[in-house]
Amino acid sequence: MDITPAWVIVKNIVEGSLIYSNLLVLLSIGLTITYITTAVPNFAQGSFAVFGSYVALTMLRLFNIHPYASLPVTFILGGLLGITTYLLILRPLIRRGATVVILMIATLAFDLILLGIIGSYSDTLAVITRKSASKFTFIPKDFTILSVSASLFVSSLVIILVLISLIVLLYKTKFGIALRASMENPSLAEVMGVNVEYTRLFSWFLSGALAAMAGCLLPFKYEIVPSTGAIIIVSIFASSIVGGLSSIYGALIGGYIIGFSETSVTYGLSTIFGTGILLYGRVVSLIVLVITLVIAPRGLTGVNWRRVLWKK
Amino acid sequence: MEEIILNIAIWFGLYTIVSLSLNIEYGFAGIPNFGRALAVLMGAFTVGAIVNRILIFHFGVQGGALTEVSGKTASIVNDIIASNPAFGIGLIILSVALAMVIGAVTGALFILPSAKLSEDYLAITLLAISEVAFMVFYYHTGIIGGYYGVTVPDVFAFLPGQYRSHAFAAIAILFALLVYIFVERLLNSPYGRLLRAMRENESVVEAMGKSVMILRIKTAAIGSSIAAIAGALFSLYSANVIATSFSRVEWTFYPFLMVLLGGAGNNRGVVVGTFTFVLVKIMLTMYKYEIKSALMLPFEAVWLEYILFGLLMYFVLLYRPEGLIKERPIFSKVILEKVKKRA
Repeated sequence: MDITPAWVIVKNIVEGSLIYSNLLVLLSIGLTITYITTAVPNFAQGSFAVFGSYVALTMLRLFNIHPYASLPVTFILGGLLGITTYLLILRPLIRRGATVVILMIATLAFDLILLGIIGSYSDTLAVITRKSASKFTFIPKDFTILSVSASLFVSSLVIILVLISLIVLLYKTKFGIALRASMENPSLAEVMGVNVEYTRLFSWFLSGALAAMAGCLLPFKYEIVPSTGAIIIVSIFASSIVGGLSSIYGALIGGYIIGFSETSVTYGLSTIFGTGILLYGRVVSLIVLVITLVIAPRGLTGVNWRRVLWKK
Repeated sequence: MEEIILNIAIWFGLYTIVSLSLNIEYGFAGIPNFGRALAVLMGAFTVGAIVNRILIFHFGVQGGALTEVSGKTASIVNDIIASNPAFGIGLIILSVALAMVIGAVTGALFILPSAKLSEDYLAITLLAISEVAFMVFYYHTGIIGGYYGVTVPDVFAFLPGQYRSHAFAAIAILFALLVYIFVERLLNSPYGRLLRAMRENESVVEAMGKSVMILRIKTAAIGSSIAAIAGALFSLYSANVIATSFSRVEWTFYPFLMVLLGGAGNNRGVVVGTFTFVLVKIMLTMYKYEIKSALMLPFEAVWLEYILFGLLMYFVLLYRPEGLIKERPIFSKVILEKVKKRA
């Protein structure tokens, strides 16, 4: 019997945490950006990801395209899903002056509709390809580069590309200025001639697209079932809130905090309390979430750090 | 046909209890409790984990895992109930009373971290807590048997098998009626009006010297305590407890649908909404194979149910946000007199 050396275990854990955190960041950036522009926490964000997973699965099963190669397709289709959500579900309600709670319930309803569509699609796909599609992973499809799994490279690459293009877009273009203005103060931006509707459409496109890309990569790490969205939504919300729901950087920080606390910290705890605890990674992220809400309800980026440091 | 009617009666009773409890919290107090399922799950927890353990301890049953022991205990208790109906009735009362206590404590505790938050954060937190609790109950085999589930004694073992559903339908409707009377009385009081005031404007309530936080905790405790009754009754009815039956869709989303369909803030409306919903749902469940073959669906009818109820919720929000029966303004004696004087 050979025993895996300790550093290999540590490497695997860190690698897994990094991949998972990268995906969480993608998902929570999307959630945050739609929250900033539309002021609705989108409860369907998890299902957006599963939608992406099924797009990737379809490409793989029907056209034999590797999931990494179908990232652009999931980006576009996910974006269209995001726009659909906004145009069909939210905009009619916003026009009728619905409250935040009503809008949240509407996204919850859309989540259920999406779950129904994804579920029926997975059954249909299984009939077409004669292979069950209600539970799948891409893990056998993954390969390693320099003894590190490719999904780490791909997800990091996606994150870097997304961040660079977001920074360029937000800070170097006119549209970015309009976008930031309508995030800070929508009515003032509208007075200044910014079409807030465009910025909302853009944010929903981006949100859906990023979530679907994350969903395309998620099966490299976890087994996907149609209801995966309902399970992962807690982690997405936790990372957005821990970072601060009103800041895109917050999503970045929060994604890594929650990602690592769900995997690495849980693993660390399991060496003390036994392996049974590994199942309860989400409990750890819930605890992190509750602590954040009690101490700093507006998230880490909402804290006035200069003042905190000054007091000391 | 008889079976369908009984099914409708049982589910109507159970869902009326849950949707009325949600109506206190969401319809009257404006707390968007997206974690309703947790309270129902706590009701099931009471039956599956606490009442079961009391029975196991009382009869000194030995051996293996919880799932196994609970099975043995259930058969012993069933024999006792078969000869002594009072024991079964006592078990119902014990379960419901305990569930109410545990529900109240959970409700008060689970709203604590979020007592000062705005609506959207509150909703997210409640949903997260409920979802994580669901997961723990599902994976941990030591609480209510996890994915194996636990067996619960049949409290109507003294009745012949074919009358079991009749008895449960009667019990569910009875409890729903009691809850309805209680909720009506509770909300037609200064407390109920205070809740509506809090829903409309929290700052005004604070300015009047009432603590919004205490009010929220109280309301969540009452609401969860009522919802736990449904969980306990459902577990006794199905004679086993397994976490998967307490999903977010079934016990959070559907109650919201019933409340909004009927009319938030109006108990009578909520009952009408619940009845409409249950009627549609039972019909869908009963005829799912017929629907599947008639429409030649290549997938399970349950997905169709999700799409249908999701769309229904959306159309209610869009075209009838006030529900089937609108909330009525408060006309207490004093207000009526003042209105008459003005006119």
